[in-house]
Amino acid sequence: MSTRGGLLRWVAVPLLVVPVTWLLFTGLGRDPRDIPSPLVGKPLPAFAATTLEGEEFSSESLDGRPALVNVWASWCDPCVDEHPLLLAAARAYAGELSLVGIVYQDSPDGARGFLARYGDGGWPDLLDPSGRIAIDLGVTGPPETFFVDAAGIVRYRHVGPLTEEVLVEQLAVLGLDR
Amino acid sequence: MRSLALPIAAAALLALVAVAALQLVVPREPPTAAERAHTIAAELRCPDCQALSVAESRTAAAAAIRAEIAEQLAAGRSAAEIRQHFVARYGDWILLSPTDPLAWWLPALALLAGAALFGWWWIRGRRSSMTAPPRAITDADRRRVRDAAEALDD
Amino acid sequence: MIATGGHVAVVVGLAATLFAAAAFALAARGDDRGKAALGRRAMIAAFGLAALACIAMVTLLLTHDFSVRYVARNNATTTPPFYSVISLWAALEGSILFWTLLATGWAALVLHRYRDRAPTLMPWVGVTLALVAAFFFAVMAWPGDPFVRITPVGTEGNGPNALLQNHPFMGLHPPLLYLGYTGLAVPFAFGVAALVTRRTDEAWLVIVRRWTLVPWIFLTAGIVAGAWWSYAVLGWGGYWAWDPVENAALLPWLTATAFVHSSMVAERRGALRIWAHALVVATFVLTLVGTFLTRSGVVESVHSFTASAIGPWFAVAIVATLTGALVLLVWRLPDLRDTRPPGGTVSREAAFLFNNVLFLGITFAVLFGTLYPLIVDATSGERISVGAPWFNRVNAPIFVALLFLMGVGPALPWGGARWPTIRERFAFPSLASAALVIGGWAIGLREVAPLVALGLAAFVVTVMGDEVVRGAHARARSRGEDPPTAAWRLATRNRRRYGGYLVHTGVCVMAVAVAVSATLASDVTATLGPGESVRLGAYTVSYDSLVIEPLSDDPRVTETRAELTLSGPQSGSLAPALRDYPNSTTPIATPTVRTAIGEDLYVTLLAYDPANRSVTLHLFVNPLVVWIWVGGVIVALGAAFAVWPEPRRRPLPAAAGA
Repeated sequence: MSTRGGLLRWVAVPLLVVPVTWLLFTGLGRDPRDIPSPLVGKPLPAFAATTLEGEEFSSESLDGRPALVNVWASWCDPCVDEHPLLLAAARAYAGELSLVGIVYQDSPDGARGFLARYGDGGWPDLLDPSGRIAIDLGVTGPPETFFVDAAGIVRYRHVGPLTEEVLVEQLAVLGLDR
Repeated sequence: MRSLALPIAAAALLALVAVAALQLVVPREPPTAAERAHTIAAELRCPDCQALSVAESRTAAAAAIRAEIAEQLAAGRSAAEIRQHFVARYGDWILLSPTDPLAWWLPALALLAGAALFGWWWIRGRRSSMTAPPRAITDADRRRVRDAAEALDD
Repeated sequence: MIATGGHVAVVVGLAATLFAAAAFALAARGDDRGKAALGRRAMIAAFGLAALACIAMVTLLLTHDFSVRYVARNNATTTPPFYSVISLWAALEGSILFWTLLATGWAALVLHRYRDRAPTLMPWVGVTLALVAAFFFAVMAWPGDPFVRITPVGTEGNGPNALLQNHPFMGLHPPLLYLGYTGLAVPFAFGVAALVTRRTDEAWLVIVRRWTLVPWIFLTAGIVAGAWWSYAVLGWGGYWAWDPVENAALLPWLTATAFVHSSMVAERRGALRIWAHALVVATFVLTLVGTFLTRSGVVESVHSFTASAIGPWFAVAIVATLTGALVLLVWRLPDLRDTRPPGGTVSREAAFLFNNVLFLGITFAVLFGTLYPLIVDATSGERISVGAPWFNRVNAPIFVALLFLMGVGPALPWGGARWPTIRERFAFPSLASAALVIGGWAIGLREVAPLVALGLAAFVVTVMGDEVVRGAHARARSRGEDPPTAAWRLATRNRRRYGGYLVHTGVCVMAVAVAVSATLASDVTATLGPGESVRLGAYTVSYDSLVIEPLSDDPRVTETRAELTLSGPQSGSLAPALRDYPNSTTPIATPTVRTAIGEDLYVTLLAYDPANRSVTLHLFVNPLVVWIWVGGVIVALGAAFAVWPEPRRRPLPAAAGA
């Protein structure tokens, strides 16, 4: 057995181990649910629907101010967790920030029940019975929140319940500071 | 009879392949709108399921997407345009099959490489093994025989 | 108190397995049977401790002790006893506990049975199995403690995941899979032992035969059971979605099957020994990877639970095992050279080698498809999907080639074959194959997949049938037995070969059933008001009424049932339902399946409107699906036949004056 053949075969060890190690550890840092949205950097898709109160609402009315578009449902547990944060944000930035809710795969009664239990912040919540608004926003499941700047461009899409950290960070990007 | 069997079988299968090929070449009815919608839906991933296509999934989100596909087809869009419509909203992730050609070439190349390796190994093995001289029996060999015999009492 | 006892059992188990590993290592060094016996007893003790911990957990579940976090998350006061017991493996920490029980069980069994044999190999087998068990005990002792408490203690728990509670089959599918996975550590341990002690001849392969096939049977049964569950319980009408977790279960099965074939060649011809070792290592590493994928939250699936600290532990274990095994393999590579010249290009050896290439091809394809999204995300941040269409397109040709090889391989002689032999052996099977394909075409079958599957299945079955018939006649002639008796005697004296024939027959049945059900199924969706009906093929389903009531076994669950009447080739009443579990946001579908020999009628309730009592139903006619499960059973029976212990031959009395 020649020395060259003898040493060459040891290459097999790092050749296999290094990619496997890399894959396993990068995989661990990944959240399979955190999918980047293709809408970031583009204008918010236009939508119009009826609110829970029965009024007509159009996304045009969001122009000129930063906005939060929050997709939620009454059957969604993480939505309960993030709701107080949204209420606080609405109070803290009243007049500077617009909030809009999109009700996802839910009944009007269910949605109203949620607001009665956890607090109605007073912002419009749109019903989307055909699911078209959810498709246009590329929603994978509630809760999701879109951060839109005053020019109507989507700056960030958060998947999962909002945290204080993300909220503060992204609102700053929209030009709103504590 | 046996000497004819293989040629007969081969001829029969070739004839079948020819007929099948003819069937493919002869124009068949264009797919209905429902069939076209189903084909497109089968290529899209259901956004709130694990690994199911929009065609298979029974969630409300999938139903909404199927309705959207039907509407787009009725408006005259092509399959590629409809797929792009959803990619623009959800990202590349909504397509069940990767568009990157690498995803298709890599496995094919790997299989070819594997087959080439197998061929090279085989030929090399045949060439070299003929020249190895037998070696003398040692005590280690006798021990191995004893152990193997014990193990065979399984 | 019980929870503390359970935790103590785990910690002592860790100590026992570490002690066993040390004892076995010392025994190996000094060829000391005393220390080996000590190690063996420590492993048996470890099994006892794992059993105690399991009993503790089951007791906690049955008594609904919500001071323990695992019980609070996976059990409720209304959970029926059966589901309380099987909640042992319903979620992460409990399933690791169950895994440890089985792993120590296999280890104790093999160490006990081989206590007086193979004295050179066994200490290293002991070291390997003890370290594997120690790892799982360690995971339970630190990041994944099943007995961790919570405060304040609630009065009610979450209850089991609704999907798992919906069908008693959850009592079967995980245990079968786990028995398979844990059992495959035994051949791995023997492979390691063979490499370390340089006993790389057939000894370890002969021993390991049964210890590979029995876990293989469990793994096969577990995977088929999972497919059945996906079909009969999940309600989407299919049985395999190439979900990352399904793939994770398939990968070790693929390499284990390749190993079973390679070990045959290695045992008989001294060839493919590097393959045998490499494959047994790959099987065990893939088992760990599979557990990692399903439990760490890296990929999303119905199986994956919250990402936890256990992930990094598994990652490290996988890297360490892979590195250690690879170093061992590369170091001992000179010992693994073929001892005989390989056969000609058209020989059984070549067929086996090509078989390995094909199996590895599928393994690579499945691994690639599962990991590609991860790789792309890690390198470019983009999210893409690799779904069923990709897997089907890439794997289908390889499966077709495998099916063909299944027919050709067993009929090729060792060493090589010349054209007249080939022509003679494959003439009739080729004719049978062509006849079936043409017959299929003649009755209107036009899809490629079923025709190819039929043709290849006919080929394979005819090759095997030819061998069986010829062998039976030869024996019948020479011994004066009638052919059926001769065939049976031949089979019981060549269990591996005939068991293999049966397994391959089962695979052919499954191949045809999968090809037909995948391409010739039909379905329809309809929304019906009371009294209306819908037709699919020869079946008519009429909707009678909607019933909404709590389940009798578990009043927390509300079931909404559509009562239907079926007429056609099968008839009777059907009641597909949707069940609302208190801990689930979406209702769980409970489809109704009516199975007949030729096809299944499958009905799911998609939605209902309580106001106007209308229901939306999805109907499927799935042809030949039952044959997938039948085929799976045949495969398991064939393998069981192959492993069945043969009666010990009576020793011949010594001849007088010899």
